Amino acid sequence: MNTMQSSAQAATAARRGIVIEGRDVGKSFGGGSVIALEGASFSVKAGSFVSLVGPSGCGKSTLLRLIAGLIDRTSGQLTVHGRDVKGPHSDVGMMFQRATLLEWRTAIENVLLPVELQRTVTAADRARATELLAMVGLKDFAFSFPSQLSGGMQQRVALARLLQTGADILLLDEPFGALDEFTRERLNIELMRIVGEVGATTLFVTHNILEAIFLADEVMVMTPRPGRLARMVHVPFARPRTPELTLTPEFNALVAEVRDILGTH
Amino acid sequence: MHEPRDFLFWPARVLPHLALLVALLGLWEWAVASGSVDTIMVPRPSAIMAAIFELYVTKGSIYQHFFITLAEAVFGFLIGAGVAIALAVSSSLSENFERYVSPYAVVLNVTPGIALTPIIIAWFGYGMGSKIALAAVICFFPIFVNTLTGLRQTDPDREELFRSFGASRRQVFTQLRVPAALPLMFAGLKIGLTTALIGAVVAEFAQATAGVGVLMSRFSFALDMASSLATLLSMTLIGLLLFYTMEFLDDRVVFWRRDARMSAVSRARARAWASGAEK
Repeated sequence: MNTMQSSAQAATAARRGIVIEGRDVGKSFGGGSVIALEGASFSVKAGSFVSLVGPSGCGKSTLLRLIAGLIDRTSGQLTVHGRDVKGPHSDVGMMFQRATLLEWRTAIENVLLPVELQRTVTAADRARATELLAMVGLKDFAFSFPSQLSGGMQQRVALARLLQTGADILLLDEPFGALDEFTRERLNIELMRIVGEVGATTLFVTHNILEAIFLADEVMVMTPRPGRLARMVHVPFARPRTPELTLTPEFNALVAEVRDILGTH
Repeated sequence: MHEPRDFLFWPARVLPHLALLVALLGLWEWAVASGSVDTIMVPRPSAIMAAIFELYVTKGSIYQHFFITLAEAVFGFLIGAGVAIALAVSSSLSENFERYVSPYAVVLNVTPGIALTPIIIAWFGYGMGSKIALAAVICFFPIFVNTLTGLRQTDPDREELFRSFGASRRQVFTQLRVPAALPLMFAGLKIGLTTALIGAVVAEFAQATAGVGVLMSRFSFALDMASSLATLLSMTLIGLLLFYTMEFLDDRVVFWRRDARMSAVSRARARAWASGAEK
């Protein structure tokens, strides 16, 4: 009965093209004394790029971890592919500000880690890993160890590893936040291309408003203490986008709109 | 590391050291020959050379003792390290276990291990058993503490990553915690191996039938200081042998901490990958 119901839910969600849906999602720590996130209701369409923007402490990372099933919500409903989120699941893959590579594994061995943790690595997995490293521009660095790579290159390996999981939902928690401006800008553009190529749904946490708008189809604007989802802002610009977009009046009008939401709440 | 061609210039690096050594030995020889130092207590370097030649070449009587002490230190180390690693792993897996084990580990550490010598000799006798036991006891602590500290270092981001990949607790331990602990564990093993040699030699000084420690005691009691110092050289040799064995293992196992080794391993893995792809 229960499984029938949930598969029916999954079917409806799929028809509407919604992959992640939250209703009144809340998370508090310490028995309710610290509220990290409150009343977040949202839905994310398949294949869309959603930025989560807001100041520190607005619950962006908490929301990402809730969707990944790494922490449990304290209230509300949260489904991924129409299925209730309970514990870590293989539909999503995460990437953090730090590359979190294993320094005793070569780049390609790091990319293969998620497969290795699940089953025996096949020739197809190896071929896929090679292909992914080429996609992130590290074809010639497959056998380099993390400490032999720059910070930007390490994040590229982490991105390839994330794609190797086969997850169709990518949760990126300020993935390029620790890198310099130039590297970050270049990686953002590559990220858009790669995500487009694999057709993944992406949630991208940042506290940079320009970056949030430039990358996304939708921007979730969040306000702090307690973390609340203030508004969803639609970004209408066509793809592929170039950095020149950020200079147009339309783009800057959106920036002003997001600033306004953040400022008035 | 050094470029291969640096090898051609090795005399330029080694010669100044040799010159200094010769000068120091010359000064020593001269001081003793001039009569300002008692020749019985402080033998001339030339007399030590003669004793070395006798012990190591003409009679060759040192080797039996050399290998006994080496074996005592190595077996003691293996036992001590085995117990230390087993307890450290158990402690890292269970907080309760750690709570009960750590007071004993601390007591063992603050008690001078050497002070156990008479008791250990009473328990294990004059033979190799007591030397191995003392070596094991005193090398235990540095290995235990380093291994446990290494295993306890946790990186929340990496643990979270493993969980998001659906890794089991066992996989988190074997694929993440253990490799991350290896550098510290090897630092502990290096200290432990040197300590084990000290344990073996001290137990030999106390009471023994064979080994370089007892040989050195005998020469000193007979006021044959040249032979005693010649015997000391064998302890240095054992120490060097053990030290470089550990350095070699450290280099192999914790390769990602050494640039030169990392490049070599990187090339080896690339070759292994290529040959795997052909199949």
